[in-house]
Amino acid sequence: MLNALLYLRLTSSKNWVRSRVRRLRQPKYALGAIVAFAYFYFFFFRNLGRTPGTRSLPPDASPLMDAAAAGVTLPTDWLPLSTAIGAVMLLVFTLFSWLVPARRAALGFSEAEIAFLFPAPIKRRGLIHFKLVSSQFRSLFGAAIMMLFSHRWTFLGGNALTHAIGWWFIFSGLSLHFRGANFTLTRLTDLGFGAWKRRVLILAGVISIIAITLAQLPEAERMPAAADAFDARPFSQWLLTLSNSAPMSWLLWPFKTVIGPFLAGDTRSFLLTLGPALAVIVAHYLWVVRSAVAFEDSAIEHAEKRAARMAAWEAGGTRGSVAGAKARRGPFALASFGRPEFAFLWKNLLSTWPYFTVRIGLGGAVIITASLLWIGAHPTWRGLLPGIAAAAGIFAAYTLIVGPQFARQDLRSDLGHADIIKTYPLAGWQIILGELLTPTAILSGILWLAILTGTLAVHPLVMESEWLTGTLQIVIALGLAALIPLLVVLQLLVPNAAALLFPGWFQTSRIRGGGPEVMGQRMIFFFAQLVTMVLALVPAVALGSLLLFTLHVFIGPIIAVTAATLVMAVVLAAEVGAGIWLLGRRFEHLDLSTELRAS
Amino acid sequence: MIEVEALTKRYGNFTAVRDLSLIVRPGEVLGLVGPNGAGKTSTLRCLAGIIPATSGAIRIAGYDISTDAVAAKRALAFFPDEPRLFEYLSVRQHLNFVARIYGVRNHEEIAQPLLEEFEIAEKADQLPGALSRGMKQKLAIACGLLHAPSVMFFDEPLTGLDPLGIRRMKNSIRKRAREGATIVLSSHLLHLLEEVCSHVLILKKGEKIAHGTLADVAAQFSQGETGVNLEEVFIRATGGSEG
Repeated sequence: MLNALLYLRLTSSKNWVRSRVRRLRQPKYALGAIVAFAYFYFFFFRNLGRTPGTRSLPPDASPLMDAAAAGVTLPTDWLPLSTAIGAVMLLVFTLFSWLVPARRAALGFSEAEIAFLFPAPIKRRGLIHFKLVSSQFRSLFGAAIMMLFSHRWTFLGGNALTHAIGWWFIFSGLSLHFRGANFTLTRLTDLGFGAWKRRVLILAGVISIIAITLAQLPEAERMPAAADAFDARPFSQWLLTLSNSAPMSWLLWPFKTVIGPFLAGDTRSFLLTLGPALAVIVAHYLWVVRSAVAFEDSAIEHAEKRAARMAAWEAGGTRGSVAGAKARRGPFALASFGRPEFAFLWKNLLSTWPYFTVRIGLGGAVIITASLLWIGAHPTWRGLLPGIAAAAGIFAAYTLIVGPQFARQDLRSDLGHADIIKTYPLAGWQIILGELLTPTAILSGILWLAILTGTLAVHPLVMESEWLTGTLQIVIALGLAALIPLLVVLQLLVPNAAALLFPGWFQTSRIRGGGPEVMGQRMIFFFAQLVTMVLALVPAVALGSLLLFTLHVFIGPIIAVTAATLVMAVVLAAEVGAGIWLLGRRFEHLDLSTELRAS
Repeated sequence: MIEVEALTKRYGNFTAVRDLSLIVRPGEVLGLVGPNGAGKTSTLRCLAGIIPATSGAIRIAGYDISTDAVAAKRALAFFPDEPRLFEYLSVRQHLNFVARIYGVRNHEEIAQPLLEEFEIAEKADQLPGALSRGMKQKLAIACGLLHAPSVMFFDEPLTGLDPLGIRRMKNSIRKRAREGATIVLSSHLLHLLEEVCSHVLILKKGEKIAHGTLADVAAQFSQGETGVNLEEVFIRATGGSEG
């Protein structure tokens, strides 16, 4: 029976790869694949075969490991310390699997697997084996990907193969542990053991183990007091002692064992760690198989919810899980007459989080203003202002550039409804304008708060400046605030144009887990957005700068900034208007059936 | 009124609809039938202005759909086979949204009777996720009827409806036709067409095989027999083969 299930998994994987290779004949996928493989090559594969360069070690570095030849100076106890830290991290991960789950074990079957496998003459254990084999594919893939990263960490020692196998042990161990914990918790629930009781007991158990270990440590090995000069060595030594002392060492043993092959610096130590690591994996496997519980009902429920989520995502949904979502009041009262574009704003605001409201925005502005005025008035905290100003600037730039990728409550979300929207009695530009209103409002609101933060943080720092007067600061901030919505629309036009001009490309770039060609497509889209933005900004910035420098000399900075802002706003508004009109024309002539047929 | 002259729709080298001409007058219900791939959905989508025709002219309520699309679309409603609803708008909010798009003043006065006619008034504050397939279909239809269109296109209108829903839908279509609406519906359910339609258009491989009243088309393919039903007519007209 397992052979049939293995056949299903292998054949599905083979066909997945085949279909992806076959579709590379289409230029859009071929180009995406070229970009993705170039990225992988230059960032990962180029150095895969190379051994770390050997650099002569300084005479006082004799106790350091060879890894230091890569330029990293590591203490002699780095390996046990890394093992301990890694084990603690795995412990935290696995603790989550005991504390968080509140639902019954479901095993993550797809709807198709349920339809074909559940009525088939297969024992429950066979189904579990099928899922274990399936998870092995993910573990192997994850190990291969992580190896590409960790291979660059030359101080670890080992080679690509030992790293890949090491990662496989870690991923397989975690995967098996999650399943075993899920089954065990379901059994406990069936026995009437409530979730909160279980959580309290598990946390109490772990805290007790740590407390007992700490209490048993000799006086000389207690936690070091903080010194004036920062020195991590006493602390790392204490952590090492703690992890090696019973009963903490018993708790960490399986995790240290699983992490062993990955951290092995040479072939001999790698081989020595293999046996115990394998024993832990086998023990986990036996635990999973023997603790299996009835999972069919919850598997069906889980599969249905997942299918609904996927359908909503593919239809353009953006608000997370559809299952369990509740209707809420509209963001504002929508009269049945007036500009129809606002109907899209109203609708799309309903499709996103309820926090994007004018009231919350104003509340945020009040809090920011009060906090920064308070900080500016206290000499102790004033030192934070440059950092806050810099953070606000970086955040604003990030929001402007990357924000349109996340705020997708526009045509990108409604492309699945295009056939209905096309029957609305609206010109194309009206639909595009309406669709762009929501992300523009959201991103502009966030950026205005960032400008407010930056201005208030900068103000106390430059109060004494002769040229950057308080009035000029306000004029600059207001000018930026006025330009923000136009800049945001300009940024949003690019991904929306991509969705309209290349709907086939756009639809495929939405698919999750689509392979390297889809990843490459996303990279191309992002790069195109940046280039288009720069090109669109050139005329506005050129004219604005010219006006600013000219008028500044004759009339003064305040009028110069105001005039430059106005001119830039006019240029940007003209670009935005032209963009919306062109996209509207495109939308009117869009033949989705043809476009998606070609994909 | 719907006027179509030499409508052709091509996808690359494939011709989905070829040189189709027809007129549907107010009060008429035209049933569009044909084997899978005959071009029914493409025809409906071209008529509703969802996809552009490759060539030919389409006038809806006197407005050319390609040159005066907004005016034409104000007069029509399209009901797809699969209800396309916005996941995060409740039933009532859907009607509110559509009212603003079409500028339907005092839409509540029209919406409530529609909700009651389609038996979804009790679900007015629910999201589509909480509705059955049939209820979603009813909501989509209520949204389409809100602006009192004079031209309606239905693509498989009975899909997902329960027997009572089917009866109500048939009555609703007949009622709208009696009130002067021009209706085109596409369906594989030939008994529906026999019950509801005044006219029938049979398509095969994108071409018109037969067009006229039910009696005319039946007579065309009855070969002198009496009491030939539409199913038999359909099989004879299409030669019993696909596309």
